[in-house]
Amino acid sequence: MKNKYIFGGFIIVVFLGMLVYLLTQSNIKYEEDFAKVKQEDKIVRATGQWVKEKSYEIDKQNKTFSFYLADAKGVEMKVLYNGTIPNNFESAVSVVVTGEYRNGYFHAKDILTKCPSKYEQQYEQEKTKTSSL
Amino acid sequence: MIGSIVLTLALACSIFTMVMYFLTYKGYKNTLNYGRIGYHVMAMLVIVAATLLWHAILTHSYEYKYVYSYSQNSLKTGFLIASFWGGQEGSFMLWLLLTSIVGIILQSYTSKRGDLEQRTMAVFTLATTFLLIMVSPLFKNPFMYIWQEPSFLNVKTINQAMLGMPLLQNFIFTDGSSGQSFVKMSSELYTALSSAGLSVHQLIVDGKGLNPQLLNFWMQIHPPILFTGFSMSTVPFSFAIAAMLKNDYKDWVKQAFPWVLAGAGILGLGIMLGGYWAYEMLGWGGYWAWDPVENSSLIPWLIGVASVHTLLVQRRSQKKGGIGRYAKTNLILCLMTYILVLYSTFLTRSGVLGDASVHSFVDPGMIVYLFLIIFIGTFIVLGFGMLIYRWKTLAEETPVDEGFLSRDLALFTASIVLSASALIVLVGTSAPLFGHAVDALFYNEMHIPLVIIIGLLNGLSILLKWKNTKKEDLFKKSIFSVSSAIILTAFIVLFGGVTQIMMILVALSASFAFFVNVEIAIKIIRGNMKMLGAYVAHIGIALFILGVVGSAAYSSQKDIDLVKDQPQEAFGYQLVFTGYHPIENNTKYAFNVNIKKGDKVYSVSPVMYISEFNNGLMREPAILTTFTKDIYVSPLGYEDQSQSKVQGETISLGLGDSKVVDGVSIEYKDFDKPDMSIMMGGGDFKMGTKLIVTKDGKSYNAEPLIKKEGRDFKYIPDQIEAVNIKIELKKIDPGTQQADFIISKISGDNTSHSQPKEVLTVTASIKPFISFVWIGIVIMVFGFFVSVARRLPESLSKN
Repeated sequence: MKNKYIFGGFIIVVFLGMLVYLLTQSNIKYEEDFAKVKQEDKIVRATGQWVKEKSYEIDKQNKTFSFYLADAKGVEMKVLYNGTIPNNFESAVSVVVTGEYRNGYFHAKDILTKCPSKYEQQYEQEKTKTSSL
Repeated sequence: MIGSIVLTLALACSIFTMVMYFLTYKGYKNTLNYGRIGYHVMAMLVIVAATLLWHAILTHSYEYKYVYSYSQNSLKTGFLIASFWGGQEGSFMLWLLLTSIVGIILQSYTSKRGDLEQRTMAVFTLATTFLLIMVSPLFKNPFMYIWQEPSFLNVKTINQAMLGMPLLQNFIFTDGSSGQSFVKMSSELYTALSSAGLSVHQLIVDGKGLNPQLLNFWMQIHPPILFTGFSMSTVPFSFAIAAMLKNDYKDWVKQAFPWVLAGAGILGLGIMLGGYWAYEMLGWGGYWAWDPVENSSLIPWLIGVASVHTLLVQRRSQKKGGIGRYAKTNLILCLMTYILVLYSTFLTRSGVLGDASVHSFVDPGMIVYLFLIIFIGTFIVLGFGMLIYRWKTLAEETPVDEGFLSRDLALFTASIVLSASALIVLVGTSAPLFGHAVDALFYNEMHIPLVIIIGLLNGLSILLKWKNTKKEDLFKKSIFSVSSAIILTAFIVLFGGVTQIMMILVALSASFAFFVNVEIAIKIIRGNMKMLGAYVAHIGIALFILGVVGSAAYSSQKDIDLVKDQPQEAFGYQLVFTGYHPIENNTKYAFNVNIKKGDKVYSVSPVMYISEFNNGLMREPAILTTFTKDIYVSPLGYEDQSQSKVQGETISLGLGDSKVVDGVSIEYKDFDKPDMSIMMGGGDFKMGTKLIVTKDGKSYNAEPLIKKEGRDFKYIPDQIEAVNIKIELKKIDPGTQQADFIISKISGDNTSHSQPKEVLTVTASIKPFISFVWIGIVIMVFGFFVSVARRLPESLSKN
């Protein structure tokens, strides 16, 4: 009877240990501030707005897609992604990129575009600027 | 308006029913019938409200904000019906509708089982009450009129004949940056229209439409099934509370059992269909991305399946008298299934996952957020409050210490392992609440050992006897399955190229489970078919695991440029792009790709189109399904180079940037500013860039220029013969100093570039044995229902 509990306890400890270890290993921090993103040497998830003025670039030869992303303070960084332009990119209200900043670029391994349901708000924000008509 | 009234009446009925059932439980006579009538009236009202919403959608009643936001005239009937659950409000409506219908069945079921009805239905109607408050005019009401809150409507959706009307002019705005015009819909406009004798219905002639990613066959199937699973999870929760109310833990096990099985089967099917949707349509390249929304429906399913195993043990051990083993575990698991469904709703509806998930809904506002917390909080407090209150009386009466090799212990362990899996997913999914996220790696690595254990237990628990098994017996019984599993795994290793040790162990344990269950299933088929459920479900899971090993761990993918009519080799197949044609009234384009192997030619057509809904490029993959593998062709882009006049490649550089083109590094060193005063004055000027071109360690300077002479711009390229490159400055912004260059070769293969060519770029991937994933789950779900058929009559039995 006692052995069973010791055995069970051991398994639970191993399991929780693994859980915590992997959690710290695969942990991705959210970072809204690009100045901090640029200093971080780990993988982070950053949210920003696509700088439309600077357009984007699709490099067919190297199969990369790159664009500029700006945070709320206006700090910009260039994002490089191995792949092509995601669905909905042009109409995205905000873009969430996961990856790390190296050699002057943010190397994204994942891009998430936020669009559909935020439409109404977006229009409302634009409206407050132009309703002077 | 009438919809809101109907829903409010239903809410009143729900509360009335809850009180009546509770009073009946407390011993009042005559209240039971009021409860029954109350419930059926409530359910009818909910059905009426749902019908009204469908009616509003089908008749394009755009005066309702919900109808305007999620449907449009051009949608086909099937999608119109499905736009019912296209948004938050409607998906709560769907959940409510299905819960109400489940409740009708539950009322009938419980009324035949003694005093179960009042206790169960009192709890069940608490859930319907909360859902009804959710869709009431206070929160997420689908019958809200469009003018109740100011909103901006695209002029495309407005009656063009009315746009010129003077009364409308104050409400029309144009967005400077996009050039689109909007009508501001508000109560003022509504009043203005009414006083002119016009209705909003005349003004708004079309809706915004459904997000194109939802315009898919599975949109019509997946949400209702998933929500049926969610609704059914209310039942085990109600049974558990009902048992604690009565302080009797014997009968509820057999009574809840068919519901737990059916709920797990349906929820499992719903989750799988979501995965299939993602795979087949959304082009995620796989069926499971560990996205928080997917995860949050998986967690309650895992707990539900865990409860199946311990409920079975409790039921079995009741034969010796008493309430049986794991009474507390079962109560906790059944409570948790529903609480986790609510938690899942909270995660996906409250906006907390905002940046973490592809399909989480947008922030619904503080009040809804708080209400969701109250919703979950109430059920947690009720469930665990009762449990603590009854904890002492729940002392296990049958502490039989069975041996290590007993089915009893194996099933309990299975339940623990499934709960551990749920815990892993829960921890990972909740990480965004604390400002973090986890990589898919976390889930995958954590699950590999668990899956090995699941496979072993899956087979072992079947071979073991309930109480204790002699080692020799076990050895004898497992000869066939163990040897077959080893042979199959050897095949997989030799021919499938599986080499990772963990993957080999997964394959071995899953094939062991497969053979054990197949062996027994074959024996049973000749006997009592009703006993087949568990074995069928376990065969399904074994196949599913094998499918996951093949498709996830051993798929390979590759980006390919397919030049029209030029075959390309990939994974031993020849891919040829043969051209494209418009489909669906010229709204989409299908790109034909022929896949050839030997003499066989298959044709697939990935689709791309620009969606009017969001002006974005949408892509749909195409899949060639064979028994052993899927060939997945996902379009990336299409380029018709025959139409472009520019030769060479265009690159864009900021000052100080550098880029490698064809092995030549180009660095943008300096910007030769034009004389600003001359430029402003409209005089002739020149501007240029200083570049450093490096190849094989040697650097050269290049200085392409733009000159303005009179009215013309002249582009003066620079070329460096040593590296065979010509650089032309195409455009430069004097402000940001961002410049575009055209890089081409001076000589050589430029001539071949000038040949007109159409290029389709695709990601092609091979998914070995992915069909096992789908087949496995379908078989598993079937197994669940065979078990339901067996356990349903049992729930009426005296024992």
